[in-house]
Amino acid sequence: MNKPPLVRTQSLAKAYLLGDVRVAALEDVTLAVGEGRFVAVTGASGSGKSTLLNLLGGLDTPTGGTIEVGGVLISAMDREALARFRRFGAGMIFQSFNLLPSRTALENVELPLVFSNVDKKERRRRAAEFLAKVGLAHRANHRPSELSGGEQQRVAVARALANGPRLLLADEPTGNLDTRTSREIVGLLAELNRDRHLTVIMVSHEESLVREFAQDVVRLRDGRVIATESLA
Amino acid sequence: MRFADAVEFALDSLRKRRLRTFLTASGVMIGIGALVSMISFGKGMQKNVSEAFKASGLFNTIMVMPAGAGIPLGDPDRPLRPPEKTARADAVLDEAAVAEISRLPGVRMAYPEVNFPALVSLEGEEEFRLVQVIPAAVLASGTAQVRWGRSYASDNEEGVIVSRTLLRRLGTSEPGAGVGKTLRITSVSVDFGQLAGLDLSTLFSGQKLPVAREGYDFPIVGVTDVNAFGGGPGALQSDVLIPPGTARRIKRLPFTSIWDLLRMRGGRLGYSAVSVKLESLADLERVASRVREMGFTTLALADQFEEITRAFYVMDMILAAVGMIAIVVAALGIVNTMVMSILERFREIGVMKAVGAGDKDVKRVFFFESGAIGLVGGAAGCALGWATSLVINRIVNLLLARQGMPHFDYFAFPLWIFLGAVAFSLLVSLVSGIYPARRAARVDPVVALRHD
Repeated sequence: MNKPPLVRTQSLAKAYLLGDVRVAALEDVTLAVGEGRFVAVTGASGSGKSTLLNLLGGLDTPTGGTIEVGGVLISAMDREALARFRRFGAGMIFQSFNLLPSRTALENVELPLVFSNVDKKERRRRAAEFLAKVGLAHRANHRPSELSGGEQQRVAVARALANGPRLLLADEPTGNLDTRTSREIVGLLAELNRDRHLTVIMVSHEESLVREFAQDVVRLRDGRVIATESLA
Repeated sequence: MRFADAVEFALDSLRKRRLRTFLTASGVMIGIGALVSMISFGKGMQKNVSEAFKASGLFNTIMVMPAGAGIPLGDPDRPLRPPEKTARADAVLDEAAVAEISRLPGVRMAYPEVNFPALVSLEGEEEFRLVQVIPAAVLASGTAQVRWGRSYASDNEEGVIVSRTLLRRLGTSEPGAGVGKTLRITSVSVDFGQLAGLDLSTLFSGQKLPVAREGYDFPIVGVTDVNAFGGGPGALQSDVLIPPGTARRIKRLPFTSIWDLLRMRGGRLGYSAVSVKLESLADLERVASRVREMGFTTLALADQFEEITRAFYVMDMILAAVGMIAIVVAALGIVNTMVMSILERFREIGVMKAVGAGDKDVKRVFFFESGAIGLVGGAAGCALGWATSLVINRIVNLLLARQGMPHFDYFAFPLWIFLGAVAFSLLVSLVSGIYPARRAARVDPVVALRHD
């Protein structure tokens, strides 16, 4: 296990200004996530889980410390480079799926490929392939409103993988799903982690799912890491 | 993001908000429509005037006037050119001078501008008019278009040409029916028999003036149509035209105003103006300077036409400025619509950014949306402006036809008006899109995607 970790943070900090008051959402977070691991991030609400994920996904920029993904320092990137990182470096899924309601499942999966200049035919082909991979080939032409919550999250997973990132970030992916569907979705992530050697970092507060599927757990409280444990 | 994809995204989003897109594009359509009809009106008027100028042959004409003070009539800024310093100071614009001018190389013909006030009557109806003396050869050169009947064939033919307008005033509304009727021209001359015993100081206390009235009858041989745009000095705006030989028989005073008398040189009267028609416009400067060397003032209508063209530029500017008000309102409509669209699509922008859209991609989509509104609105505005102009033209012509005016196209539509209008509309909409596009590009994905 001498391979360098895929994700590494050093003294990572994020603070917001609420009026004149400085609120620390994340403080002194130093982490290393090895390639191909399935890591769960847990903690009470407001502990900084989502902030950490947004920083790792290049959606947000830190106010202190550094983030390295695949050996690249993303905390120092400008807006354009960050957009490129979001396009190719990390896929994200969210609690509320965040699919475009006016577009079909297939078109939603195509979306990241649109921004990476893939031509239409190739886009269609790849999107269909990923939809099939998450078991939704037969729902390709349905709009999100015609899909169940579980199906919508599967579309989101397919979309996150469309550009072939090595890292998948999942922000409470089961928050809007029932227990059975939640298990299916996290099971899908675990399967992708296992079969495609995909590194998964998942924010969740469902301890049972975490225990069943995750290999490592990072526990946050008040923006700080209070414990890291290895489950497998 | 590819160009085609950005266009597709933009159109897709416009389709989703059909009513608003339609309303915003309608604003642009009305603005561009107003601009198009305003400019085409300006161009139409300019075209009509320049065509009337060309048709009248006035381009090739120099007006020659005596030296000295100008008569305070018409445009005070006319490009009059005074005689050369070396010229004789007592030159009189008489028959000999006209003959000399006629002989200058490059001159096709020179004829005095002679007119006199008269009372004209037809079948009991009377009107006061200036009767203009015009040689048959000048008429034949196309200076006036005789629509009904014919021109007089020689300078001594017993016949006059009248305008359609005058005929109407004299009770004959069908111009063709006027041909062959007899027009009576009554003029005034001095009664030399009475002159000897005249005491000027008693003139206003009832003594009879020593003047004689005499009427002359002429058949109407031709009728000219109304020329609404045939302006400019020398244009045949007179309602009665008569050949010079025939006019000589009419006893009348040799001047029309006291100014003519004030301008006399050494007691000699001379003509107040002479029209000089040139073989070609290229001869203009040479002939004009020769005439000025003879001691006369010249006025080239070609010079004046340039001034008229300049005046039209000003008119175009004013019309365009009025049209611009509508465009500014339309542009504000685009900005409003696009900003609203950002607020509505806040989350969508967040999603696009989360999956890898850069600032440029988002900017492009919004930019193309406002561009599409401008393009569609501009094209529709051209159609609207064109259609409106046709309707206005039809109505105006119907109204003026009742007053005996011929049909005119008051609007002109050169292709560049349409192309320019669409391009301008696109430009305005793109400029209107700059702020919304920038604002959309600055949307923070974390804020946009925050749990609802």
